[in-house]
Amino acid sequence: MTYAYLFKYIIIGDTGVGKSCLLLQFTDKRFQPVHDLTIGVEFGARMVNIDGKQIKLQIWDTAGQESFRSITRSYYRGAAGALLVYDITRRETFNHLTSWLEDARQHSSSNMVIMLIGNKSDLESRRDVKREEGEAFAREHGLIFMETSAKTACNVEEAFINTAKEIYRKIQQGLFDVHNEANGIKIGPQQCISTSVGSIASQRNSGDVESNSGCC
Amino acid sequence: MLTRVKSAVANFMGGIMAGSSGSEHGGGGCGGSDLPLRFPYGRPEFLGLSQDEVECSADHIARPILILKETRRLPWATGYAEVINAGKSTHNEDQASCEVLTVKKKAGAITSTPNRNSTKRRSSLPNGEGLQLKENSESEGVSCHYWSLFDGHAGSGAAVVASRLLQHHITEQLQDIVDILRNSAVLPPTCLGEEPENTPANSRTLTRAASLRGGVGAPGSPSTPPTRFFTEKKIPHECLVIGALESAFKEMDLQIERERSSYNISGGCTALIVICLLGKLYVANAGDSRAIIIRNGEIVPMSSEFTPETERQRLQYLAFMQPHLLGNEFTHLEFPRRVQRKELGKKMLYRDFNMTGWAYKTIEDDDLKFPLIYGEGKKARVMATIGVTRGLGDHDLKVHDSNIYIKPFLSSAPEVRVYDLSKYEHGADDVLVLATDGLWDVLANEEVAEAITQFLPNCDPDDPHRYTLAAQDLVMRARGVLKDRGWRISNDRLGSGDDISVYVIPLIHGNKLS
Ligand SMILES: Nc1nc2c(ncn2[C@@H]2O[C@H](COP(=O)(O)OP(=O)(O)O)[C@@H](O)[C@H]2O)c(=O)[nH]1
Ligand SMILES: [Mg+2]
Repeated sequence: MTYAYLFKYIIIGDTGVGKSCLLLQFTDKRFQPVHDLTIGVEFGARMVNIDGKQIKLQIWDTAGQESFRSITRSYYRGAAGALLVYDITRRETFNHLTSWLEDARQHSSSNMVIMLIGNKSDLESRRDVKREEGEAFAREHGLIFMETSAKTACNVEEAFINTAKEIYRKIQQGLFDVHNEANGIKIGPQQCISTSVGSIASQRNSGDVESNSGCC
Repeated sequence: MLTRVKSAVANFMGGIMAGSSGSEHGGGGCGGSDLPLRFPYGRPEFLGLSQDEVECSADHIARPILILKETRRLPWATGYAEVINAGKSTHNEDQASCEVLTVKKKAGAITSTPNRNSTKRRSSLPNGEGLQLKENSESEGVSCHYWSLFDGHAGSGAAVVASRLLQHHITEQLQDIVDILRNSAVLPPTCLGEEPENTPANSRTLTRAASLRGGVGAPGSPSTPPTRFFTEKKIPHECLVIGALESAFKEMDLQIERERSSYNISGGCTALIVICLLGKLYVANAGDSRAIIIRNGEIVPMSSEFTPETERQRLQYLAFMQPHLLGNEFTHLEFPRRVQRKELGKKMLYRDFNMTGWAYKTIEDDDLKFPLIYGEGKKARVMATIGVTRGLGDHDLKVHDSNIYIKPFLSSAPEVRVYDLSKYEHGADDVLVLATDGLWDVLANEEVAEAITQFLPNCDPDDPHRYTLAAQDLVMRARGVLKDRGWRISNDRLGSGDDISVYVIPLIHGNKLS
């Protein structure tokens, strides 16, 4: 399956905020209430369509625990987008955002698009962080903001796609050097359609049929 | 290892974030074979990665450390972690596999004469031999734990093939001797199909006494069978296992050689494997990976490396005996540096296959040729081509721009070491660490032991992931973090830019076996 661009994302935030669930909802359209603790790095991938262009999102889901922080830090490099997630029912996960943001800013390329996500919006009754607080934090630090629910899938699609749109916009503005793969962006194989890339997960939901480009 | 070949491949493929699964087709600079792959490229089967995940893992910029998924378990709760190189090759050329093999006597296989000793007799042996039979009833076969690690070069083909097939060769070799092995009370028969002498394995003195009387006839006691030969070597059981492993390596290498006419099996690989059979660990190593046991904080080396430096004398002797293998371009002698033409007739230090020290010789024309072994440490090469002297594959490897084959100098024979698990009561933090040279190039045995002895006691002893987390910690320590001046580890030393793969195998499971 061919694509115009590949964007690499990283999902960060405290443990238990729903990072792995968000990824699973996005790639597999399902919610798994009991998700194993992420102790290393896990990957997901899916094709999306932005502006008529096929874009492959390659998503890295990281471990949030303090003890894995140094490993997680080493994965910011080469990411074009980051989803910084907190749990709207647990204020401490919101309080830790500054430290996550510091890490991200320090270890990523300066153009990385950061999407702030307040997850578990389905748990309105247990809300501990107001939407306005999330919005204010995002405004203050120049982030995009959304509240999502990995459980009901509300806004999950949008969170990933809006991040991609923002990256795409930056590419068009010439803010990203797409030839430097350290920026987390790769131009798709134009010359030659690769033979068998793409698992079922990445082909599903990919929207329209891929364009038939190239020589092979 | 094959710097020249490797950089050519890396340039051709463009390296970084490349993930097209088709990149091995059409050669990618390594042979240009049109033949199909024997197995598709991938990461170890036990990691259970999808094609997308494999693609993500090949990120030479962020170099993700892959570990066993939570839902997957290896035998003995073995830990595993790996990371790809920093860009020297598109693929991670390390491979691994791990499984529990069942060794059953093949139907119609050669049979040894049934053993007349009762189970009662066996289990009453003082050293506890024979007790293993409890868990393996004869009809079910003997279980054999297997861990393997391969470090490929000049392509991933050989390493992938070996990671899929070597275990079958081992099973096949063990099948022939499984009945003899489980009959631990009786030494293996020298010749199959004859009446066994029924000599208990632990009564050497009697045997020796009998052999001293040998030839004189008329044995002193009626229970001693007549001795047919003056001396007969007593071969212990474990030597048959060692022989089986050595044969399996050779068969694997021959299979690669045969199948390369119908498949594209690129490059070669080192091989380090461990089996646990009937209470003993057998570590077989061909190449420059390494195995160490860390027991109570102490290091027990379980392998040695085979490189142009460690095998210099073997290689020089071969070249001395068969000079045509050097294609008139190399000299088998070693000099401290390249000899210059203007030095002809002078005396220079040298050493030959028979020497570990140095002597002077008068320089002749032949000495001006490029040395068979050249370079120091990690840079030492055989015929300026390869830095490892044992392993599998490489049948088509030639000296650059020549018709000189390297393979005759390479050996597929492993060195096998045995570790008797029953001799020690192992704790939860006693482990066997297996790793490719990516780890050992930057971390000394002592540093690895220190890391393990720091890490494991801080994990919950019941955490099933503790050994995987320890493996991840080791890979992280060897990879380091990317700074302005490349990958750096502790004390600002250079981190490993190589593929790194690590097993951490807890030995506490060995306690249950005996
Ligand atoms: N109600 C609700 N629960 C969620 C949501 N997302 C995650 N969870 C739960 O939160 C817990 C942690 O989720 P997980 O994805 O493992 O968190 P991670 O550590 O950030 O990866 C799990 O028990 C999930 O079932 C959500 O949107 N709504
Ligand atoms: Mg998680």
